Amino acid sequence: MTHIERNSLRRRSFIVGASATGLAFGYVAANGIKDALAAQSFGPTAWYSIGPDGIVTVMVGKAEMGQHVSSTMCQIVAEELEADWSKVRIALPNNDPKYNDPMLGALITGGSWSTRMNFETMSRAGAAGRITLIEAGAGLLGVPVGECRASNGQVIHSKTGKKVSYAKIVADGKASKTWTPDELKAIKLKTPDQYKLVGVAVPQLDIPSKTNGTAKFGIDTMVPGMLYGRPVMPPVRYGATVKAVDETEARKVKGYVKAVTLDDKTGTTSGWIVAVATTYEGAKKAADALIVTYDKGPNANVSDQTIIDEAKKLQASDAAGQLFVSQGDPAAAIAGAAKTVEAEYLTSINIHAPLEPMNATAYEQGGVWHVHTGNQFASRTGGIAAAALGVDPKNLVLHQYFMGGGFGRRLDADMVIPAVLASKAVGKPVKLIYAREDDMAMDFTRPLTYQKVKAGVDADGKLVGLQHDVVCAWPTARWGIPEFLTPAVDKKGPLDGFTVNGADFWYTVPNHKVRAILNELAQRATPSGQLRSVAPGWTFWAVESLIDELAHAAGKDPVDYRLAMLDGAGNNAGGAKKLANALRTAAGRAGWGSVTLPKNTGMGIACVSSQERATATWTACAATVEVNPTSGAFEVKKLNVAMDLGTVINPDGVKAQIEGSTLWGMSLALFEQATLKNGALQATNFGDYTPMRMSEMPELDISIIANNDPPSGCGEPAVTVVAPAIANAIFNAVGVRVRSLPITQAAVRTALQAKKT
Amino acid sequence: MLTLTVNGQQKQVDVENDTPLLWVIREHLQMTGTKFGCGAGLCGACTVHLDGTAVRSCQTAARDAVGKKITTIEGLTVGGKPHPLQDAWIAEQVAQCGYCQSGQIMQAASLLATNRDPTKAEIVAHMDGNLCRCMTYGRIQKAIIRAAADIRAKSGA
Ligand code: FES
Ligand code: FES
Repeated sequence: MTHIERNSLRRRSFIVGASATGLAFGYVAANGIKDALAAQSFGPTAWYSIGPDGIVTVMVGKAEMGQHVSSTMCQIVAEELEADWSKVRIALPNNDPKYNDPMLGALITGGSWSTRMNFETMSRAGAAGRITLIEAGAGLLGVPVGECRASNGQVIHSKTGKKVSYAKIVADGKASKTWTPDELKAIKLKTPDQYKLVGVAVPQLDIPSKTNGTAKFGIDTMVPGMLYGRPVMPPVRYGATVKAVDETEARKVKGYVKAVTLDDKTGTTSGWIVAVATTYEGAKKAADALIVTYDKGPNANVSDQTIIDEAKKLQASDAAGQLFVSQGDPAAAIAGAAKTVEAEYLTSINIHAPLEPMNATAYEQGGVWHVHTGNQFASRTGGIAAAALGVDPKNLVLHQYFMGGGFGRRLDADMVIPAVLASKAVGKPVKLIYAREDDMAMDFTRPLTYQKVKAGVDADGKLVGLQHDVVCAWPTARWGIPEFLTPAVDKKGPLDGFTVNGADFWYTVPNHKVRAILNELAQRATPSGQLRSVAPGWTFWAVESLIDELAHAAGKDPVDYRLAMLDGAGNNAGGAKKLANALRTAAGRAGWGSVTLPKNTGMGIACVSSQERATATWTACAATVEVNPTSGAFEVKKLNVAMDLGTVINPDGVKAQIEGSTLWGMSLALFEQATLKNGALQATNFGDYTPMRMSEMPELDISIIANNDPPSGCGEPAVTVVAPAIANAIFNAVGVRVRSLPITQAAVRTALQAKKT
Repeated sequence: MLTLTVNGQQKQVDVENDTPLLWVIREHLQMTGTKFGCGAGLCGACTVHLDGTAVRSCQTAARDAVGKKITTIEGLTVGGKPHPLQDAWIAEQVAQCGYCQSGQIMQAASLLATNRDPTKAEIVAHMDGNLCRCMTYGRIQKAIIRAAADIRAKSGA
């Protein structure tokens, strides 16, 4: 549906020229320069602009959902541009391809990729702007260019101290320059010792508006004459069709307009209706009053247990799935091993539940459709909205907003469909808002995962062979974008790498196979999505629990056991040692092996290379947990997290992301669980789907390790490391192992009782 | 027609008596700083003050707000001067997505109005009904403590 053109920036030039609002700076396709220049302006703004008041506005094509990526992108540009931070502002673009991510060729935010992929591009954009401004500034000052430098929004003649501000240069209107790709590449970027903004905890630009109610989210859109819609969701997650709608009671609701049954040609939704009224309270009442008859379709009998049974059946078949990792001969190694260990690990269905429920406002004006919504994947979502309407995507503009949480939920496009189809049906603008219950029932969930591992250890307890099977729905496969899939190493076709990432860890294991198996039954019944941290959220649950089990079985210290496997041999060179360093840091900060813990209190360790092997962030966690050996009740006392993420753009922003993602990891590990029953997600609101509250927060200790490697993501990795650290701590506290997430008191109690008998 | 007093101003709204105050504020009056999170009293995103007391506007019928002073996040800034909590929220860089934060600040403001030196336990007890999906709880606590100290310092206490 969406064509992703990678690396398109390599063929692009960079131009600086006058625009309607001042001076614009942006990349253009090589053949687009003439047109852009001929038009005298290539605004409104591509990448960034400077106004005659000196205000630098950076177009951030990245979705701002609280990770402050917009501010971080500004920091990178401002560093090389030598801009005055107090004059930098964020602007959010629409889905015009000119704002596409230069590396991904689309407007998409996920996978903690943003900073890493954009660092160089944004830096060069800033530097080219600075050099152009210095040239223009030198002209205005009447001094040689070579004697000028830029600092804090001014061009300065070093000898005389004469200055001219960027504002003046822009107002003068003469600065203009075209940079060829080669010239751009030749710019010498700053070295880290020259940084003034990168590495500094400058205040995040998006925060002030989030303390006084002025920040605008998609749900805050107001369009004159708009009506309101609330969806009516079918009794199963997917596969239902509407047979009949009885509007008798709904018609009695004040302001009721109509019930629109969606004919969704994109197949994103099934069996949805929108109740439209002049007010949202009216739409809500009407939605409740509609009496709908459904055909529940083919998934009405699918439940958690059906999915697990199917997963086990698939896993038992040698023919199923494709290989993600294949090294040596694990079967032979396990057959010849001194000891073998087999284990099953499960993770429940989890839902995103960002605090801003899904919503979109849509209307048609002069042949062009406008959709207002905060979305992480504007390129695809705009395309889907157009497909649902049957219009050319060129005639649909997606307007971007701050997101009241994304976590991967807003990579999906479902929310635009009821908005555009309802608007089309009533011929008026419609603001559509999911009630929380709708949002939970129709989440694109983290899939239920079943993993089976079989390991062989030698007489010393060393891991010599590992088979790791991962069975679940494939969230990325659902998108239908081949570029996002990974070729299988056994040539059995593409697999969804976003279900197995992390299983290709940095431990040296001579014989290792990882098999990705699609659970089609689950795929059909619960279309799954990318939930913060995605695959490493379950693969490391299995790997880091298993490694701990092997360490204990071998009578070795779990930290020492891991360090021995992080030897950096072969293609684990480099990364393994960084991970070892993060592991030592977390363990050291926690007092691993040096503190005496009270009775029934244990410390557990885990380390991860989330998100993807190629873009790993090196993260470790030590969890301290107290367990009641009778009731199984437990309390996480403290989490020590250490993370090595290369170059740190904003240390406080990084810390905030690690804090949030660590608690997310704990919330998923202990408090969040959705189940599927008779085809329906059993979660209605925050009363039965219960993310962590303030009173449940443990003590946090966070260590940031910064080196000068390229920046890597910090918003997701900690999510993946916490659950195994907690399970390993529970084992160390009372000697029982829980292999299913979330870890509940009941599960610990059952394990304690089983141990006694 | 109901007459409501919002941030010191009288507003006429044409809504049913049982319309949740949340929708009156957000959609009818288009004051969008107050947020919708759950509609069930479970998240606190919609918190406003009624005569100085924090309430969930999604659980308050418009009729019940008649004759009372309604304060929203937009009304917390008085005469262009931010509330000490708003300054503290920036100083501690609390917000991530920011969606819960209007409600968090309104909830915290009602605590500091009666308790200028809350203990951590008192803060947790008062704030536990306000969900932050981004889990900014640690910074929320710090910002409340900072604002309280700020208020005490300013009043010479
Ligand atoms: S929206 Fe009112 S408590 Fe959640
Ligand atoms: S900051 Fe996102 S919900 Fe609190």
